[in-house]
Formats: sequence, C-alpha cells, structure tokens
Amino acid sequence: MAQPESLKGCCLLVVEDEYLIAADLTASLESLGVEVIGPAASVDEALSLVDKNSDRLDGAVLDINLGNERVYPVADVLTARGVPFVFTTGYDAVAVPTAYAAAPRCEKPVDKTQLVRWLSNTGSRKSVCSGRLS
Amino acid sequence: MSGESLVPNNEELFELLVESSIDFAIFSTDPNGLVTSWNVGAERLFGYAEDQMLGRSADVIFTAEDRAAAAPQKERSDASIHGRAADDRWHQRKDGSRFWASGLMMPLRSRGAGFVKITRDRTEQHQAGERLRENEERFRLLATSIPQLVFLTRPDGDRTWPSPQWIEFTGLGFDSSLGLGWLEAVHPDDREATQKAWREARLKGEYYIEHRVRRAANGEYLWHQTRAKPLEGESAAGSDWVGTMTDIDDLRGLQSRQHVLMAELQHRTRNLLSVVQSIANQTIRSTGSLEAFGTQFGSRLRALGRVQSLLARVEDQVIDLHSLVTAELAAHSEDDIASSKIKVGGPAVALPPTAAQALGLALHELATNAVKYGALAQPTGKLEVTWELKAEKPTPEIVLEWRESGVSMPASGSLKRKGYGSELIERALPYQLRAKTQLEFGPDGVRCAILVPVPTESFHGSA
Repeated sequence: MAQPESLKGCCLLVVEDEYLIAADLTASLESLGVEVIGPAASVDEALSLVDKNSDRLDGAVLDINLGNERVYPVADVLTARGVPFVFTTGYDAVAVPTAYAAAPRCEKPVDKTQLVRWLSNTGSRKSVCSGRLS
Repeated sequence: MSGESLVPNNEELFELLVESSIDFAIFSTDPNGLVTSWNVGAERLFGYAEDQMLGRSADVIFTAEDRAAAAPQKERSDASIHGRAADDRWHQRKDGSRFWASGLMMPLRSRGAGFVKITRDRTEQHQAGERLRENEERFRLLATSIPQLVFLTRPDGDRTWPSPQWIEFTGLGFDSSLGLGWLEAVHPDDREATQKAWREARLKGEYYIEHRVRRAANGEYLWHQTRAKPLEGESAAGSDWVGTMTDIDDLRGLQSRQHVLMAELQHRTRNLLSVVQSIANQTIRSTGSLEAFGTQFGSRLRALGRVQSLLARVEDQVIDLHSLVTAELAAHSEDDIASSKIKVGGPAVALPPTAAQALGLALHELATNAVKYGALAQPTGKLEVTWELKAEKPTPEIVLEWRESGVSMPASGSLKRKGYGSELIERALPYQLRAKTQLEFGPDGVRCAILVPVPTESFHGSA
C-alpha cells in the first residue's frame, strides 16, 4: 500500500506558491505516473482548478502559507467534496488552527517518500487510486 | 499598749506606698502649683531633688511651649472642674531632655488644698505608636500614589481595603469591592482561575495570577499581574495580606507578537530549505557529473545566500532593487562593476522578500551566463541593467531590462532555451510574481525584459 506505484494514474492537485518547490514536487509526482493538476500559486487559482477538475481529483497537496494568504478556503472546499488532502508546511503544529489540526501534514522540507505514503494511504481509503490501477 | 496598733495606719501606708513607687512620679502642689511633696519617683523621672522642688512651681516640668500656652494652668483648672485632668504630653527634665509622660492630675479632697499628680515615662510606647502610625501613613501614601492597584485582603481573597486607583480603574465603589465583590471586575473567563489561585495561596505563602481586569473608562479588559503576600510579621494564615495588580497588557501583546514572529521565522526557514532541496534536485537533473553539480549548486546556493543576507540587514524586510542588482553583479565581476563595462541605474524601489528572492536567482543565472559566454566574458562586451517604475497603471510595475551588447554570440552553449536560467525567467517569475518576461538572444548579446507588478507601498517615499 505504501508503494509509490500505487499513485500511478492518480489525479492530484498541487498548491504551492514557491515556483522552485512547486516545479520540483510536480516533477517528482509526474515521475511516479501522477497526473498533476496545477501547480497553483494562490487560493483563487486553486479554487478554479478544483472547480474544473472536481470529478477527477483523487487528492491534493496543499502548502499552507501562500504569500499573503492561507490555503484553508481550498481545504474547506476539498473537505466538502470528500477529496482527501495533505498539508505541506513550514509551521509547527501549534501554528495550525485547531479546525485543521487533524489533517495529515508534511513538514518542509518535504520528505517525498513520506508524502507519497500519505497520499497512497488517503487515496486507498477512498479506493480511488487503487481502483485505477487495475 | 493602749491605743497603739500593730498595723500601720492609713497615713503611714500611704506614705510607704508613695515613697516606694520609684517608677511613678507622685507629687502634690498647692492651688497655685507650688510643690508641697515630691517622691523618689519624681526625683528619678524629672531629675530634681525633693529639696530643690519644695515651695517651687511644678510648672518647670512642662516644656517651654506648653508653659507659654498656659497648659499648666489649664490642667489645674480642668482638674478642679472635672475632678481629674489627663496629662499625656511631652515633659521636660532638669537637664532639658524630654520624655513622653502619661499621667493624671486630681484635686486633693479638701477643696482649696491643691492637687496631686501621678505620672510616668511612656516614651517608648508612645514612639512605637507613632512609628506604627507613620508606617501606616507611609503605606497609604505608597499604596495610593503608585500606578499599581493595591489592596489589603484576608488570606482567602476577601478584600478589606481597595486603593483609590483600583476604584478609579474598575469603577467599582469601595464597599462593592470588599469581600469578593472585586471579582466583578475580573474577566468572567478568568474568575475561576483567580479564585483557585486564592485557594492555593495560603499553602504557598503567596498569591500569583495573570488575569484580565475591566477598565471602567472604556470597558476593555487589560491583562494584569496580581501578587499578594502576608504583611511582614504575619504568618501565611495570619489576618492581613497586601497585594498589587500591575498592568502587563503591553507585555502580553509583545509576547504574542513574538510568537507570531517565531512562527513566521519557522515558516521562512523551512521554506528556504525546501527551495534549496528543489534547486539541488533540478541541478541534479541538468548536470552530468558530480563535479559539475557541485560547482553549479554551490554557485546557486551563494546567490540565495546573498539575497538572504540583504534581507537580514534591513529591518522591514524589503530590499532595494539597486542593492540586489549590484550585489549579484559584484559577486560575479568585482572589477567590471566599477568600470564602464557595466551600467546600472534606476529609481529607488523596495522589493518584498519573495520578489527579491525570485528576482535574485534569475539575475544570478543571467550574470553567470554573461560571465561565461556573454558581455562579461568578452573585451568588447557591455552590460546595461536599467529599470523604471510605471506607476500610472492600477497595479504599479517595475520594468527591468538586462541588455548585453558588443558580444559575438557563440553558435551554441550559452543560456539555452531549455536551461535552468531560462526556466527561472520564463516560468518561475510569471508563476510566483505574476511577472511578464521576455528573453531574447540578439545578434550582439542577451536581452531580457522583466515586468513585475508590485504593491504600491513598495515605493520609497510613498505611504
């Protein structure tokens, strides 16, 4: 279940305002056979991408701090639509509002193996990614 | 045997009593105050021998001020009218020294026979009382003049005295503040902790809590630090404690700001590490050997370091574009920066940190290319980096131009269209800063135009 291959064919949204990090993460995910939606650098862009790809999104990787704004509105929409997500953050747990404290979180710099493991687990809970494997 | 009794008669008993009372001055005077008897106690207390005083006015034991104010006469008159006159005042010995006397003057039973006066030295007791009064006065003065809110309390938090400052600050009256009435001014959410601290105070021997107290003037709650301790000489369970409440609202504000700053610092540090990780990954993808990786990665890391050190130097975390450009160029070509080979110019513009970092890395790639293949590698080459502000648009823009000239362009090997530098310029800047960029390989050198929208507050001199 924790095998990176389990992400193959998944459709994941990436939200990250720092280009270098976004590009690197996108490249890593694509090399695992993931179809990356985005990356998006702002809440507006992310919300519009969620809207357009709502029926095919299997999960999302959300950077909490997007310059002058926080990613939480995107997290709310994804929660409402039942799309699992993982936060990436430079913040300690204490700085994350309690409403989101339970969401899985990868601390920066992101350990990609750990990120993929999280994504595989959340994805498999929904039986979405694994369904596409066959 | 006849008529003689074995027990002393009253007169003899009285005389024995008077003579043996060495701690009491006992003397009698005629109606005008002339001494008719003077016991040993009086000798000891006033310093005058009996034979010096008999027939003399007893008024000499009064101070000069009291004599001038006719106090001796008044005492005799009071004693005649009321049957007694209290005598609590400073008296004076033969040697001029003073002591506090406490005594009584009474008229002798047979009218017109004079007076008897009994008195003793109560200086120590008097001074102790005075000291106590002074201490109390000093306490009141201190308690009512310091900025803290002061109170006296029982060890269980029952207030017995609130200072005027407390009354003014909370708007609660003196009586309403007594007992547990003062709790009314404490924030409802803090009341339980406030009372719990009182339950623990007796054991600890002191009270301490930080809680919010309402200011009557505007209804806002301000953080206060409240401390109380038993008064000196009292046990913890003893009757009186004294307490102070100090306004620490500003301090609490600073502390919470510090927490926000620490979180922000965390975020930036970890983000920077992520950027370093990404640069490493991308450099690995684009370089063939470990040696080439080492050179390129090191050079990019130093560019990142330069932006960071510029950021660390400025207090409000904005970087002047001119410093950013010259720092990058100087790092590559220390000699050329001062020569006519390089021209740098533009108005003062302050860049926010994210913009500075992205732009710094892009300039680094341009400069690296120029040093390797372009204007800074060839004797005839020239470089102009200029910028201007377009403030008339809804969102003001910085338009920066990097223009190399006099370069004979190599057939290949320079800043490649698919290279890391062009990726930063053509993709990273538009992504991160919503910039518009144009990178051209002209016949006599590289040209790059970068248009970055900036928030209005980034202009020097404007609000």
